Amino acid sequence: MLVDRRKAAVFGAALVLRLLLWVLFPSLPDLLTGRVEVSTPVNSFKRLQEGLFMYTRNVSPYDGGVFHQAPLLLPIFALLPNAREYPLPTAIFYSMVDLANANALVTISDSGQALSGRLHSALRKHVRYDGVAVAAWFLFNPFTIATCLSRSTNVFTTCGILYAISNAGSGNSVNAMLALGFASYLSIYPALLFIPLVLLCYDRRVQKTKASSNAAVFSVQYFGILLGSVAGLLGISCLIVADFWQFISATYGFQLLVPDLTPNVGLWWYFFIEMFDSFREFFLGVFWLHLACYVGGLTIRLRRQPLFVLTALLGIFAIFKPYPSISDASLYFAFLPLYRHLFPLMRYTFFTVSALLYATLLGPAFYHLWIYAGSGNANFFYAITLVWSLGLSILLADTVFAALREEWEQDNPELRGKDIRQV
Amino acid sequence: MLVPTRNLRSNPHLLFVRLPYLLSFLCIVVGVIWLLLLPLNEYSRRTYISENALLPGQVHAYFSGSEQNIFRGYKKELGGLLVGGAGGNDGEDGSRGERGNGKVQSILRAAGLKVATQNYEYTSAGIRHQGQNTYAIINAPRGDATEAIVLVAAWKTADGELNINGITLALTLARYFKRWSLWSKDIIFLITPDSKSGAQAWIDAYHDMHPPSVQPLPLKSGALQGALVVEYPFDHRFESLHVVYDGVNGQLPNLDLFNTAVSIAGGQMGIGAVLQEMWDHDDSYEARLETILRGMVKQGFGYATGAHSSFMPYHVDAITLQTKGEGWQDEMALGRTVESLCRSLNNLLEHLHQSFFFYLLMQSNRFVSIGTYLPSAMLIAGNFTIMAIALWMRTGYYAGSSSPSTSAGAPAEEKKETTQKGSDASGVMERQLALPLTFVVGLHLLGLLPLYIFNNLSHQYFSSAVYTCIIADILLPLTLAALLTHHSPSTPSTPANTIPQHYLLIKSFSFLLLGLFLSTLATLNFSLSFMIGLLCAPLTFTNRTTSTSVLRYIFSTIGLVILNVLSPPVVLVGGCWYAGVSVESVLTQAAFGWDVWGMWTQVVVWCVWWPAWVTGCALLGSSMF
Repeated sequence: MLVDRRKAAVFGAALVLRLLLWVLFPSLPDLLTGRVEVSTPVNSFKRLQEGLFMYTRNVSPYDGGVFHQAPLLLPIFALLPNAREYPLPTAIFYSMVDLANANALVTISDSGQALSGRLHSALRKHVRYDGVAVAAWFLFNPFTIATCLSRSTNVFTTCGILYAISNAGSGNSVNAMLALGFASYLSIYPALLFIPLVLLCYDRRVQKTKASSNAAVFSVQYFGILLGSVAGLLGISCLIVADFWQFISATYGFQLLVPDLTPNVGLWWYFFIEMFDSFREFFLGVFWLHLACYVGGLTIRLRRQPLFVLTALLGIFAIFKPYPSISDASLYFAFLPLYRHLFPLMRYTFFTVSALLYATLLGPAFYHLWIYAGSGNANFFYAITLVWSLGLSILLADTVFAALREEWEQDNPELRGKDIRQV
Repeated sequence: MLVPTRNLRSNPHLLFVRLPYLLSFLCIVVGVIWLLLLPLNEYSRRTYISENALLPGQVHAYFSGSEQNIFRGYKKELGGLLVGGAGGNDGEDGSRGERGNGKVQSILRAAGLKVATQNYEYTSAGIRHQGQNTYAIINAPRGDATEAIVLVAAWKTADGELNINGITLALTLARYFKRWSLWSKDIIFLITPDSKSGAQAWIDAYHDMHPPSVQPLPLKSGALQGALVVEYPFDHRFESLHVVYDGVNGQLPNLDLFNTAVSIAGGQMGIGAVLQEMWDHDDSYEARLETILRGMVKQGFGYATGAHSSFMPYHVDAITLQTKGEGWQDEMALGRTVESLCRSLNNLLEHLHQSFFFYLLMQSNRFVSIGTYLPSAMLIAGNFTIMAIALWMRTGYYAGSSSPSTSAGAPAEEKKETTQKGSDASGVMERQLALPLTFVVGLHLLGLLPLYIFNNLSHQYFSSAVYTCIIADILLPLTLAALLTHHSPSTPSTPANTIPQHYLLIKSFSFLLLGLFLSTLATLNFSLSFMIGLLCAPLTFTNRTTSTSVLRYIFSTIGLVILNVLSPPVVLVGGCWYAGVSVESVLTQAAFGWDVWGMWTQVVVWCVWWPAWVTGCALLGSSMF
């Protein structure tokens, strides 16, 4: 019972903290909603409000070109009272989503897939955080809190991804695929997680039944389930919006073709602003290919640890996806404490943390200089987004290094603790 | 070159303990010297007009002759109203303001302008500030009301004098400008009761950012391109123009605006321009340095130096022209200067953006730009980061003894052996981060408490609050030190003679944050970052001492006394004593700045400087327990 009480304390404290922030600083959510670091065109709460306004007045929400989010969010938010007049129900709703996400993290941590899977067993199993600590890490991360307060719809994608992984970790493969379908339906990129996720499901199945079925057949079956769930959600969407193709081009087309170059913490906007239009299609292809190509490489190299592949991919999405925000980074950070046993092998933690802290402080300062004070320019802010991405890349590279190093130590027990040098 | 490097590698004490102190010290020294070099000709530049459209002084200013009679007439009308209330108290002040505003409105209306008023009220530190702004707009005959220039005259100047000539001049110019057909931007004449709050209320309302106690504006124009404030508070003729340019939070107007003003006053009108109250600037090194330092102090404190300061946060470049000295320039010369400046601004094709926004002026025609001066503040901020990194590495890789047993002359092989042993014994240590993180983050959050108190207290309690704060600042670090020493996690592996890991980690995190904040701040407000950095510099060299007991007590007591002299409230009291102003008035002004101007100097003091200072004191104090 003791563990449960701890969990209740952490969850309760997180909920109280969020509601307190909401009550004590009523202007904070609106401030965060307007920040480019938190709200992107594809997850902004303001745009959702706009879509909602049109939806409740029987106009197609995609008219006007402001709303680019999945239509299923509209009926859900139409049930909530108006966020402007009664902010509290929305606040409670978002806080609950955060708690649900944390709960999924507890399940992932308790499944122990980070420490030992079918093909892999960590060396330093005793160095670990328990599920509640992992959840606390997620819930009290300032980035998560900022995302929650800004009411970014990214939390639903996060929710889908987390439940997909937690279900995969505990062996409910069908549920995992349904959750991934939900996340992919909201914002396409989670579909890239399919391969490592299905491998995780497969490993769990083999572990449980002790009989190895054919991996390819298994994957195809579950790919079918994923497709079915996405198709189902699209079908329901058809009932909500009249013009199916308008919906597709306003949401998925918007996410794939990146027409809105509002600044964000990612690397795409500046690049595509500077680019000559004739090269745009080519580089769109290159950027997407770049994002997608990590899936294959990481999955093959780290076949033994599918959960780690998922973690690394989430980090890559946080850096390289077209409209990243700090909520993507917070999702990646949420997975890191699962790999507490790799921390002793990481080499640049202090540098990474410093770089991320610098970027966190300098980003808003330079944005202020650029937009409000008028004394800076776009390059100021872009430089800081580069630092931010650099910090995340180093963190990512460092964790991947640590994971590889651990695998290597497993394979070569006699070389444990020796320095390695790249030749 | 190779030998010292090898020595460094084989002597971890030198690498991890001595070298960072040396580097930090160098950073601070170089940072200060860098600043001292700036006034030299080699490092500064002459000012120049970057925006060609401004064409300063290229037009003939026609404001003269018969306009002078109108000026005298207006002055007589206004003066007649003010005779009764010349030396009056606040009550009379209010009625005088009302009568004055009524007259101003009727004059502006008679000149054919659209006139409107705005009431406002602010409450800060238990004091109510209220008044009524009057403003009038000339619609541009050649424009489309999308852009405007503001001409401000306040009844009370920034120094609290009655600005009778300034107001009259603004009215005369309004009548005069109205008859010209060449304006392509609207011209707004704003008459405010004082230089502190009136312009702020108006500009807030102009951008619909006003608090509920301020009325919205009934009449508006386009985007503001620039603002000029005119002050002429005495009856005799003046000698030179004092150009004031500092904005709230150290923001500065575009250098082009300042240059235009200087070049029109000096070149076209033959009026000398001075800045930063340097009345006799002989262009020597000392005078230049003093000008820079005065500018830095004003920028660092971040308060509004005049009615123009309120415009800066909205990206409206603004300056104040003050008449100074006894000479032979009359109000017509000032009027022609303002006319010529308005003509220049009228020429602008786009918002002022060409020239510098970050600069330090050392003479009306010499400046240094951000690229040249920023490294000095960055070096000082960098010293803390260097220390933070060094302490972090020291906790991880080098548990080390404090006795440098290996002397430089010893054979290399022996040294290698000792390091081998050392690294085997300590290896990579696990760090215990929970206590240091909680300590540092907790202190930063605790800084919100004095911030809240000093911004919300009524003004009569300020001096007692400061003295309470000084006493609390003596006691708090010692309490924290005692707690740290008695309730710290046991680290069995460290020898008795070394500093336990968590002290080093606390200092490391505290300095990481300090370096972080100061370098961010350096991009926003260079001077504040530089000043806080210098005041925090002694903290780099304080730590828990490990010498023998008697010396330890002496050293730490002396150190604590020195640090307490550098604590935020003591520095405030000392600064007030040096400047000859009362602590209460400074803090009232600061609270007013927080409430009305949106000044955030206090946040830096209480949430950046103060936590770092308490941490330093607590670490030093811990050697006593």
